[in-house]
Amino acid sequence: MDLKFDSIEGDSIQYRLMMIAFAVFAVAGFIATWSVIEKGLWVTGMNNRVPWGLQIVMAIYYIGLSAGSLVISGLYGVFGKQEYKPFARIAVYVAMLFLIAGLLSILTDQGRMDRVFVEPFVYFNLQSMFSINPILYIGHILICVIYLWALFYERKKLTTVIATVAFGWAFCVHSGTGAIFGFGARMLYESPLLPASFVAAAMASGTALMILMIVGLFRVTKRPLDDELIIWLGRFLAICLLVVVYFLFVENAYRAYVVELRDAAVYYLFGGLHSLLFWVGLILIGCFIPIFLLFYRKTGKTVRWIVFASALVVFGVMCERYVIVLPGLTHPPDLFPGMEITESVIQEGIVSYSLSFLEILQALGVFGVIGFLFGWGLKYLKLLPSEARVLNQTENIDVSPEEK
Amino acid sequence: MPGKTGEINRMDRRDFIKTAGGLILTIGSGTYAFRILSATGASVSGADNPLIGKKWGMVINLDRCRSDCTACLDACRAENNVAYHGDDRWDLHWIRKVKLEGEIGHTKVEKSVPLLCNHCDNPPCAQVCPVQATYKRDDGIVIVDHHRCIGCRYCMIACPYNARQFNFKDDEAWPNKDHPKRSHGVAEACNLCAHRLDVGKMPACVEACRNSGAGAIMVGDLNDPESEVARITSTMAVKRIRADLGTEPKVYYLGL
Repeated sequence: MDLKFDSIEGDSIQYRLMMIAFAVFAVAGFIATWSVIEKGLWVTGMNNRVPWGLQIVMAIYYIGLSAGSLVISGLYGVFGKQEYKPFARIAVYVAMLFLIAGLLSILTDQGRMDRVFVEPFVYFNLQSMFSINPILYIGHILICVIYLWALFYERKKLTTVIATVAFGWAFCVHSGTGAIFGFGARMLYESPLLPASFVAAAMASGTALMILMIVGLFRVTKRPLDDELIIWLGRFLAICLLVVVYFLFVENAYRAYVVELRDAAVYYLFGGLHSLLFWVGLILIGCFIPIFLLFYRKTGKTVRWIVFASALVVFGVMCERYVIVLPGLTHPPDLFPGMEITESVIQEGIVSYSLSFLEILQALGVFGVIGFLFGWGLKYLKLLPSEARVLNQTENIDVSPEEK
Repeated sequence: MPGKTGEINRMDRRDFIKTAGGLILTIGSGTYAFRILSATGASVSGADNPLIGKKWGMVINLDRCRSDCTACLDACRAENNVAYHGDDRWDLHWIRKVKLEGEIGHTKVEKSVPLLCNHCDNPPCAQVCPVQATYKRDDGIVIVDHHRCIGCRYCMIACPYNARQFNFKDDEAWPNKDHPKRSHGVAEACNLCAHRLDVGKMPACVEACRNSGAGAIMVGDLNDPESEVARITSTMAVKRIRADLGTEPKVYYLGL
């Protein structure tokens, strides 16, 4: 079959407005980051008790989206599902952009950004998850470049090989990112399950975002898109979500069961704003409602509902990233079990954290940069297929036309 | 509507592999050459190294520590130019005092405890440092190279004692001009006044505590059976904070 890939014209007013918006975001983020470099990280609101904030949340969110998008491209590259070939290029390109976004988020969060480009590579520390991960990330970007190259030049064999490598690598990347927290000493971080649950959430959010993007791009550029392709992705998303819920359940059940972690579990589940994000943002909006929508016969086979469910998942997983990073920091380490610190010069107990305007600007800046690169790619690279159709051999999926 | 990618299509596969391979080789070999060269320059053989054989440890006798006294804190701040901004979110404290309350049966226990870096034998902060800026010296002192720290703050996450702090902003004050102060963007913690121990002087907090008449803090060589810290830690009921975590802290408390 000859599937034609093309770039978009990029002359429309919407495209130009979108690019201008991204550029404005990027500039705002740059100004915010410059102020951090000049004045110090205190301007972001982070402090000695909560040393990580929104940028780390966004970093792991982006890295998750990246790993998830790569899985979608693997449907064609690894599993040979020809009908998903139309999405392969855009999926890999977006995977690469999201990883760049993750790296940018981490970069702009450092106290000494000027040293990031040399020291971590010269004084590599094999024992540190923070040393291992950049290798995984940079490898991931390189693999994406080769993968894209193979797809652009239609190298069948190379595509299969590099797609398989990329698929495995994406697992490593996300397990590694989970291990930054899971292998940590904080009471609400430490969990050998975290790398695995990170992978599950990554696949869910990545799939959800790909659904949103594919449907959006195909509708806006008026390209034909068969509903079955999206319906299948929706089902895949639902299964990912079930796995996410399972991991969340096991993790929290463990914390609530083990005596020494019980107080921390109570804090996590019922201790403030993060608990609201956990129950409403993640569990209800991010998991239960989408699972229902995707499995329910009527909504699960309607592209509009699948898109809606995907939007909920994208939001829900962002909440998940927040409740991974922040409660673990605002909850104090137990220095003296059985005793209580009643006076100190620093904040010893549970502390509060709130997003600052500057952090949001920084995060928007990163989003602007990759948004701009995304728009650029659409215009100058042949990322989008002329159409996406179900192939003959898969036409026996039982979807009656009126349900579409 | 063809894009402008036609040009890219002409890139030869061989060229691509050559360029990519060359780049990886250059970066890889350069990095390792630099590491090996810098390592040989810095290595000190065992015989010349005065740090080997020593293992600094600290004993804090809480029965002698007065809750209203801040001599050690002030001395530390003045000696090491520890930044103070008057805001507990961003102030740095290499040593801080906390009030502890608990109950044993119906008896209420109240203690004033100085907390500082425990100079762990298995320091989690050094383990996670991605640039080896935090490391353990041969004599057991855990110390930060402020010229290498990238400010990722992973050490603060890893430290189970909340002992590590970060220079979130610059401090104008510079009390001890003999000693550097830190710019914003790097992490730090107590270094047991390594610069003083190296020239045979006791850390600032130890000296201040002795001068105040309390004499609650002692620092000495744990490997030297004659030293007072070795005698106390081997014969008396000392306690370390969260020793169950396996970090092997080297700050021992008497009366905790």
